[in-house]
Amino acid sequence: MNDVGQSVEITVDGRTVLANPGELLIDACERTGTYIPRFCHHPRMRPVGMCRSCLVEVDTGRGPALQASCMLECSPGMQVDTESERTRKAQAGVLEFLLVNHPLDCPVCDKGGECPLQDQTMAFGPGESRFVEEKRHFEKPIPVNDNVFLDRERCILCDRCTRFADEVAGDALIHFQGRGSDTEVNTFPDEPFSSYFSGNTVQVCPVGALTAAPYRFKARPWDLEEVESTSVVDSVGSRIAVQSSRDCVLRFQGVDADAVNWGWLCDKERFIFEAYDHEDRLGTPLLRGDDGDLAPTGWGEALAAAAAALTDVDPDRIAVLGGARLTNESQYAWTKFAKGVLGTDHVDAQLGDGLPADFVLGLPRATIDEACTPGGIIVLLGPDPKEELGSLYLRLRHAVVHDGATLIELTPRATGLTPFADHSLRVRPGEAVDVVRAMFGEGGTAPIGGVTVEEAQAVGAIVSGAAVGQNRPVTVLLGRQSLAEAPGTVVDAALVLHDWIADVRFLSMLRRGNVHGALDLGLAPGLLPGRVGLDEGRPRFAAAWPTTPATKGRDALESLRAAADGEVDVLVLLGADVLTDVPDHDLARRGLEGAGTVIALDLFATPTVAAADVVLPATAPTETDGTVTNLEGRVSIVARKVTPPGTARPDWMIAVELARRLGADLGISSPDDVWAELSVVSPIHAHIDPEALAVQAREGILVSGGPALVRPAPLEVPSHDKNSYRLVVTRSMYDCGVLTAHSRSLAGLAPVTRLAFEPTDFAALGVAEGGRIEVRGPRGNIDVVVGPDSRVTKGTAHLLFNQRGVSAGDLIEATAAVIDLTVVPV
Amino acid sequence: MGYFRGFAVTFRKLWEKRVTIPYPEQKRDKPERLHGRHVLNRYEDGMEKCIGCELCAGVCPANCIYVRGADNPPDDPVSPGERFGFVYEINYLRCIHCDLCVEACPTEAITESKLFEFSFTNRSDAVYTKDELMVDGETGRPQQLPWEDWRDGEDTHTSGWMRATSPSGSAAYVGKVSWSGELGYGIRAPEQGRSGGEANGDDEEEGS
Amino acid sequence: MPEPTIVHPDGMGYIPHAAGFVANEGPKLVSGRFPYEDSYTLECALATGAYTGLRAALGRTPADVHTEVRDATLLGRGGAGFPAGVKWGFCPEDVWPRYLVVNGDESEPGTYKDRLLMERDPHQLIEGCLIACYALGLSQCFLYVRGEMALAQERLAVALNDAYEAGYVGRNICDTDFSVDITLHWGAGAYIVGEETALIESLEGNRGMPRLKPPYFPAAIGLYGRPTIVNNVETLANLPWILEHGAIAYRGYGSEASPGTRLFAVSGHVVRPGVYEVEQGVTTYRDLIYGPNFCRGIREGNELKAFIPGGASAPWFFEEQLDLSLEARDIGAAGSMLGSGAIVVMDHTTDVVKACLRIVRFFARESCGKCSPCREGTSWEEKILERILDGHGRPSDLDLLLDIGDNISPGPYPVAAHGAAGLDAVPFPPLQTTICPLGPSSVAPITSALRRFRSEFEARITRHEGIPVRSAPVVDGDPA
Repeated sequence: MNDVGQSVEITVDGRTVLANPGELLIDACERTGTYIPRFCHHPRMRPVGMCRSCLVEVDTGRGPALQASCMLECSPGMQVDTESERTRKAQAGVLEFLLVNHPLDCPVCDKGGECPLQDQTMAFGPGESRFVEEKRHFEKPIPVNDNVFLDRERCILCDRCTRFADEVAGDALIHFQGRGSDTEVNTFPDEPFSSYFSGNTVQVCPVGALTAAPYRFKARPWDLEEVESTSVVDSVGSRIAVQSSRDCVLRFQGVDADAVNWGWLCDKERFIFEAYDHEDRLGTPLLRGDDGDLAPTGWGEALAAAAAALTDVDPDRIAVLGGARLTNESQYAWTKFAKGVLGTDHVDAQLGDGLPADFVLGLPRATIDEACTPGGIIVLLGPDPKEELGSLYLRLRHAVVHDGATLIELTPRATGLTPFADHSLRVRPGEAVDVVRAMFGEGGTAPIGGVTVEEAQAVGAIVSGAAVGQNRPVTVLLGRQSLAEAPGTVVDAALVLHDWIADVRFLSMLRRGNVHGALDLGLAPGLLPGRVGLDEGRPRFAAAWPTTPATKGRDALESLRAAADGEVDVLVLLGADVLTDVPDHDLARRGLEGAGTVIALDLFATPTVAAADVVLPATAPTETDGTVTNLEGRVSIVARKVTPPGTARPDWMIAVELARRLGADLGISSPDDVWAELSVVSPIHAHIDPEALAVQAREGILVSGGPALVRPAPLEVPSHDKNSYRLVVTRSMYDCGVLTAHSRSLAGLAPVTRLAFEPTDFAALGVAEGGRIEVRGPRGNIDVVVGPDSRVTKGTAHLLFNQRGVSAGDLIEATAAVIDLTVVPV
Repeated sequence: MGYFRGFAVTFRKLWEKRVTIPYPEQKRDKPERLHGRHVLNRYEDGMEKCIGCELCAGVCPANCIYVRGADNPPDDPVSPGERFGFVYEINYLRCIHCDLCVEACPTEAITESKLFEFSFTNRSDAVYTKDELMVDGETGRPQQLPWEDWRDGEDTHTSGWMRATSPSGSAAYVGKVSWSGELGYGIRAPEQGRSGGEANGDDEEEGS
Repeated sequence: MPEPTIVHPDGMGYIPHAAGFVANEGPKLVSGRFPYEDSYTLECALATGAYTGLRAALGRTPADVHTEVRDATLLGRGGAGFPAGVKWGFCPEDVWPRYLVVNGDESEPGTYKDRLLMERDPHQLIEGCLIACYALGLSQCFLYVRGEMALAQERLAVALNDAYEAGYVGRNICDTDFSVDITLHWGAGAYIVGEETALIESLEGNRGMPRLKPPYFPAAIGLYGRPTIVNNVETLANLPWILEHGAIAYRGYGSEASPGTRLFAVSGHVVRPGVYEVEQGVTTYRDLIYGPNFCRGIREGNELKAFIPGGASAPWFFEEQLDLSLEARDIGAAGSMLGSGAIVVMDHTTDVVKACLRIVRFFARESCGKCSPCREGTSWEEKILERILDGHGRPSDLDLLLDIGDNISPGPYPVAAHGAAGLDAVPFPPLQTTICPLGPSSVAPITSALRRFRSEFEARITRHEGIPVRSAPVVDGDPA
């Protein structure tokens, strides 16, 4: 793929063709316009030479011979004949073989119409089969997991799904069984194909053997209209193809963006569209009437009520929370409305579960490609990418497993990458900075939790040695390791890494869809669009904006605290379900109760929305035109494919309408207008405009540059009491979040959480697995179900956030640096 | 005298048999291959033949067919196999009765009757739903809708002609239900296969 | 040790405790210990000179031992017949560790020589492994034994334990610096694992499927991605003799191109089927099948119809190929292969359609399922042959069979000459559209039989009649 070394000259059907060094013949031919049929070959997986349909006659000096072009690297002087009689006969012969046991139930099969087996049989196969015997039979589709069905009769055993599961996802839970023509793909007995990435096997299947439940029999390929877009499920920004029929989104497919997701999606990204199309979507504005109930109303009344609430309010008594799932354009419109019209800086897109915005923007940034450089070093100082950023996990796993990158983990709990890590240091909450200091010889000689100083120094030698002499780039994946730990811990640790490792780069792991767009566009306290602070950026906005805030405002937790104290008259929630998403549930509850008028823009009637006074229905990503910014700072297009339910409106339009009612003109009448204004006020966005984005739609355009690094005050962490367990709260791929809960395919996959202990710690508790104990935390005593988990570190207790079972949000106290739990004796 | 010669024709014709008939009280026999309105057929056991594959909709030049498939409930299947036609609609304001849908159908689920005389008083009547198109579950007879004018024999299916005269068909099978077997109405002997020569002939070329 | 008494219960030369082995006249380089009833014990082995070859080797430098083996021109006995000494030289320099893997997954129909070697003389094999490891500087050897060979597994395990205890395996062998560990591994019963890359996959714990080639030899990248030498059981069993008596003595047997002796397993319609140790090159098929010292002709004086010269995957030979000597090169030129040394003889009562089906069915069952032509082609061939035998054949089926064969193995398939019909031989090996030769092997019986006996196939198809098969019991190796 990279052009190092000399090109290789080969001859294909009499034409001279330049192949890249090491390029496979089938790829070189395809790149230069000669298509060779294939089933098992996949550009993102290793050649396996299984189907044999890419046989071509190749002469490497020893006379022409049939060779599988998917296994053959181009060598100088190679003579290839893809149209010779022998080639044609061999290809037709293989296709006839593949059809021997392939049922011709194309009219029933979902793949019919977009089926490589159909297409290639038309182009390269024999006109008819000479097979007159009975085909093999298997039970028709069997579920291999909750969402994927396997029809073994249709399977042509190309090894794509099994290779994906093994090589790419690392969940080798499906494999071949049996021999000869009775070979089948199947799961192991009683062990479903429970992989976060199972949907990819459906997409790579060259026949209809694997089908996904959400699309099964919904439409035929010729019904589908398609538009390329970007996933906003998480901040990786995977490129997707949104396919719809009759104004209804039916399928997301991964698109191979070389810089981002390589065509893979996690199942959450793939199946989330079901939520967008859910019947519970808000389609009309709601207004709290005199009777105290929310009732449907028109946009005019709702906007008037919202505008009335915002008129003549002290800007200091207005707070705007959320907006991390909006498009860049909507985020800009809302920043302009909040900071430029209302004049408040109490704006925060993160809900107390992220990192300080100015700190993230000030770090030297890495792209995914830079982090995954072959032979590079990756330091994970953040959450489990497998649970939170599925597509990024696949890229990281590839870098570590296949490209020789070295992975070093500093995490409180084993992650999905732990099996491939070179060093995996189990860091208890609050101790990350101590471990990082120990890596570079600072601090004492006593072990920090379970990490010995020798081990830490061995890791330090790898990262600093690499940075000095070996030209191996070091990338730190930075994010919140635990929601029960103040962000200061990883911030301090990151600063130590930044100071000790020359040329270290950071890849932010903030997870919400467009949270990086929100930071770039000023939906954070103390920031203005274009990654600038208030004071620095004020002159730029003087002409374009009516006003700018004078001083840095409160972040989300501070705003909620102020609201709880009755200091917030108007609370605007931009798709923010504070009752669920703010780690400290008690604070969220009190904040929402204490706020004056609550204006909520949302897709669903979440518990938070139920407590709002004005509810404005917003559009989902498949119904909105715009752009998003991923964790690298890559701006790519989100495209509208279907019409929104009812009268739901894009968020930017709501900001514009509200501003108009307050007598201000935001100057935005379409998403494109935002870019005209941004190119003036934000130098880092100056090279982006809608035309440029359309040209580079697949890979997007990278935004770089930022403010100087800020150094927040170090966090004071209380020392660990031997008799307590430090709480670790992480997220899992599927939770009870509003979108997952409204996706039919995903809702059932959310696990039930329980307080998990390291097995020896658990044994010491003297409780049976699944039993209950009472623990005391900063929020008082709570009765919890407990169990052992070998991934948990000794001395810690683990919970999943926002799941059924034990509610982590009820244990978390937002002001605490760490949460220590003690077991209340019976 | 000239006009008497003109009347000669009139008087001569006055006593001849009339060529017109009092339509609609009286109707002529329709040609064997007339393309009328469609019916959806059932197998002998009452299962629906339609599998919701949408090939008819795909081939329709007038874009008048709307089909959606769905997963067959395993405990109470609508059609054999995994998939059945969940929605089936034909808009007769658009249909040009070209019969391409019949040729495209892989299960012989859709065929055409000889009936073409129907008129509507509103547009929604013109969109025939699956319930209206489906033959009766007991007898296999097409359903007569209130606005349709039927005569004896007009409900027999003409699709045998269409299959026989399609590019791969053989005229030897005119008027015969082919391999699939069909519920009830006017059942005809099943044919043996397309290229096997005589019906009930040798079974040398089974399958194709 | 007293000379063993060879029991001849029926005057045939069979040894009751070594079922199938015929103790005939001739040099016994690898089967010398077979006649002893307790030959598999360490006690008997030591009394009859076991581990003297190892001691001889340990007294010389590894390079010297390697040279000795190369000079002996010890050809691989697994089927391909590649010189072991040359194969040993393929390992890339300076890549360590590397491994020796012993291919004891003998499953070619008609072949049971390795089983005898493992059952009757496990110490000879262990000694051979040690000599190979010494010559190559290896310290780890894997002994892969076919899953179904329960007795061989048991005896090898006991022998290995005894050898460990006696200090022949393990640390500081025979009080030298040389240390080797031998690990036994039982297969799960798959023919394809006899293919060396599939064997390596199986040994790694994966499904036994052949790996892509290149690399053509696992010597470069083999077990666990390390350089690996894969040798057949019989190949290694020759090493003790070579090291004890020297390459020159070894080359005194057999022909220039194929020195030494070789075990041949003859089965089918001969008077005395069994395993024979035969001098390579100088013996012909006629000697072997008709010779009084060997099989003593066709049973009941019947006529020879065809014979398979090298295991089920070899194209068939006929009367006119009888005078070929047992020399890999000559046999290859004549259109078949010496293969694993299994000779299956069919007399004139054989129904070739059934014989074809029997062999094709084996390959269809044993195809690993990786390459489509083999996976689908072999079972399709099986179904067509079944159909013909069931009386539902069509005249076009015969050309269809040949064309399926052509799609598995493109171009003219190796086949013996047919003098009477003026047809020349097509030399070995066949071309293949598959990764390994299993698929093309299934074509061998079809092309061979159809060239000679097309009329028998046609008779099946048109008149539904076949050769009346007599129910005479086939004498197999075991007189009991």
